[in-house]
Amino acid sequence: MTNLDHGKFSRVTTMFHSLLALTVFVLFFTGYAIAFNTELWWMVELMGGNRGVLSIHRLAGFALILLTGFWVPYMLIRSASRSNFREVLPDLRADAAAFVQDVKFALGRADERHPNARQFAGYKADEVPLLSYVGKGVIWIFTVELLLLMISGLLIWRKTWLIDFYNSQSVAMAFVAFHGLLGVIMLMGVLFHTFEHGFHPAFYPIEMKAFLPKDQTPNFHGNPDEYETTGIERLRLRPSWRWATNVVAVLVVVGIVSVLVASLDYGGYPVPETLAFNEGSVLRTIGINIGMFVLLLGLLLSVYGNVLRARYLRQRRERAATGTTAADGGEPASRDEPGTSGTDDG
Amino acid sequence: MSQGVMSTGEGMRIFPDVEACIDCGGCVVACKRTWDREIQNQRIDITTMAEGIAGPQGENAAKVDPLIAGENPGETSLPMQCYHCENAPCVSVCPTNALQKEEDGFVTVQDDLCVGCQYCLSGCPFGAPQFPDSNDGSAQLFGTGGIMDKCTGCRPRQEAGKGPACAEECATDAILVGSAGEISDELEKRGSGSFFNDQAMEIIFGEEDAQLFQDYNPDQ
Ligand code: SF4
Ligand code: SF4
Repeated sequence: MTNLDHGKFSRVTTMFHSLLALTVFVLFFTGYAIAFNTELWWMVELMGGNRGVLSIHRLAGFALILLTGFWVPYMLIRSASRSNFREVLPDLRADAAAFVQDVKFALGRADERHPNARQFAGYKADEVPLLSYVGKGVIWIFTVELLLLMISGLLIWRKTWLIDFYNSQSVAMAFVAFHGLLGVIMLMGVLFHTFEHGFHPAFYPIEMKAFLPKDQTPNFHGNPDEYETTGIERLRLRPSWRWATNVVAVLVVVGIVSVLVASLDYGGYPVPETLAFNEGSVLRTIGINIGMFVLLLGLLLSVYGNVLRARYLRQRRERAATGTTAADGGEPASRDEPGTSGTDDG
Repeated sequence: MSQGVMSTGEGMRIFPDVEACIDCGGCVVACKRTWDREIQNQRIDITTMAEGIAGPQGENAAKVDPLIAGENPGETSLPMQCYHCENAPCVSVCPTNALQKEEDGFVTVQDDLCVGCQYCLSGCPFGAPQFPDSNDGSAQLFGTGGIMDKCTGCRPRQEAGKGPACAEECATDAILVGSAGEISDELEKRGSGSFFNDQAMEIIFGEEDAQLFQDYNPDQ
């Protein structure tokens, strides 16, 4: 009855999301290993050494371009997907109001959050939009960042294309700096995204909507008005949630701050203004490695989500075969299954 | 010893005298023979500008004076190699610190650190970075440059008190090796100028030492 039990993505999109995560993580690991070589030299060694690491980066870059090159037209061609597209468009008035109210809420000047900010918070499905303004923001910010990263990456890779246009070395270097800057900005987004969806109390440790296609997600088909509550009280918070969330929150902040400070410190990222050798500091090394650890956590969660989906679908098949009610959301048949608390509570 | 080599080792600078270069290719051969480099790997290469065009003062006449006067200097040949710049842009842009400006003044490449990103190629104003493996199978496929290679300034030779192979071999002593002061004095003695603009001179010699060369070209 809450938004919790509504699947969000089609099968193609959940697959796209997992593959996108994989390529983006590989791009991050290789790209950061190069950019923060002093702190992450061990990652270069793990990923093909100095002779291989860039090949992997570029291979993943091509994969990313192919992937989006397939998915975007696919979405535009299917009419059902095109209508979803409308849901993602920012609603300037309501979304801006939700943002303003969120700021007030954070400052203690508002009693509650705006419906457009409240995707999960105990509302019935028909009362709030499926996507909060934060969710829309994530989609659009990542879209723009990825697009610019792909373009600048291609131009760095094929410098001659640039030189043909501008006939200047500075332009090539400007694109290098731009590519690096975008990478740093996007890291913040990805760490935040991992935290937001992995450590929400209702979903921890994983939001299954990203992995289970909506046609497989148990859905509520009744009339919400016939029910007193939203059903959120039937979720059980995992005992480890509190400390896990605190620990990861600290790691996310340390990771983001370290990467930011390091890139400012190196100056004119990733083109240092002054020459400095062996300049790594112990603190910065630890901080940047923590950032990479959170990235790895994100990748592992993405893999875990797929494992859970496979397990859930298998259990459903087994139940169907043995004649028991399938977990269609009407009966909380699979409530005991760990990790899918967000999807199986009707 | 070539007269172009005035001192070697610590604090060494390397710089061409465009008035002397006759595009004979001797330096290119000397470098390849000494270091056994691949055929397409030009640690030193001679760039010829305005080929076949006579300057206002005739062929083989002064190049720098007309340039300063804003005229076409006519055909000019310039041995281009790594000048082991004081403010080396390549060192600044290298993301992995594979390029280092060493204390003795040489700019070196650590093969183990270079990832072949070719940023240095975009950073160097003089086209010094070479990527001899960039046409190899996987490097070509993924567009990586392979490991960067460039003029080493013949550091081992210099440490042994010899000049760089190119400078020693040059028939017209067009490659000058020594301290910034020695090079600027020698150019002045020969009545030659620096040919490069102020910006390039500050990259190669640093702001302070670049002043040494302005005595000759006060209004350049
Ligand atoms: S910028 Fe070019 S010429 Fe200067 S030190 Fe680097 S490679 Fe050598
Ligand atoms: S190609 Fe090698 S030496 Fe040149 S900037 Fe890249 S890593 Fe540094």
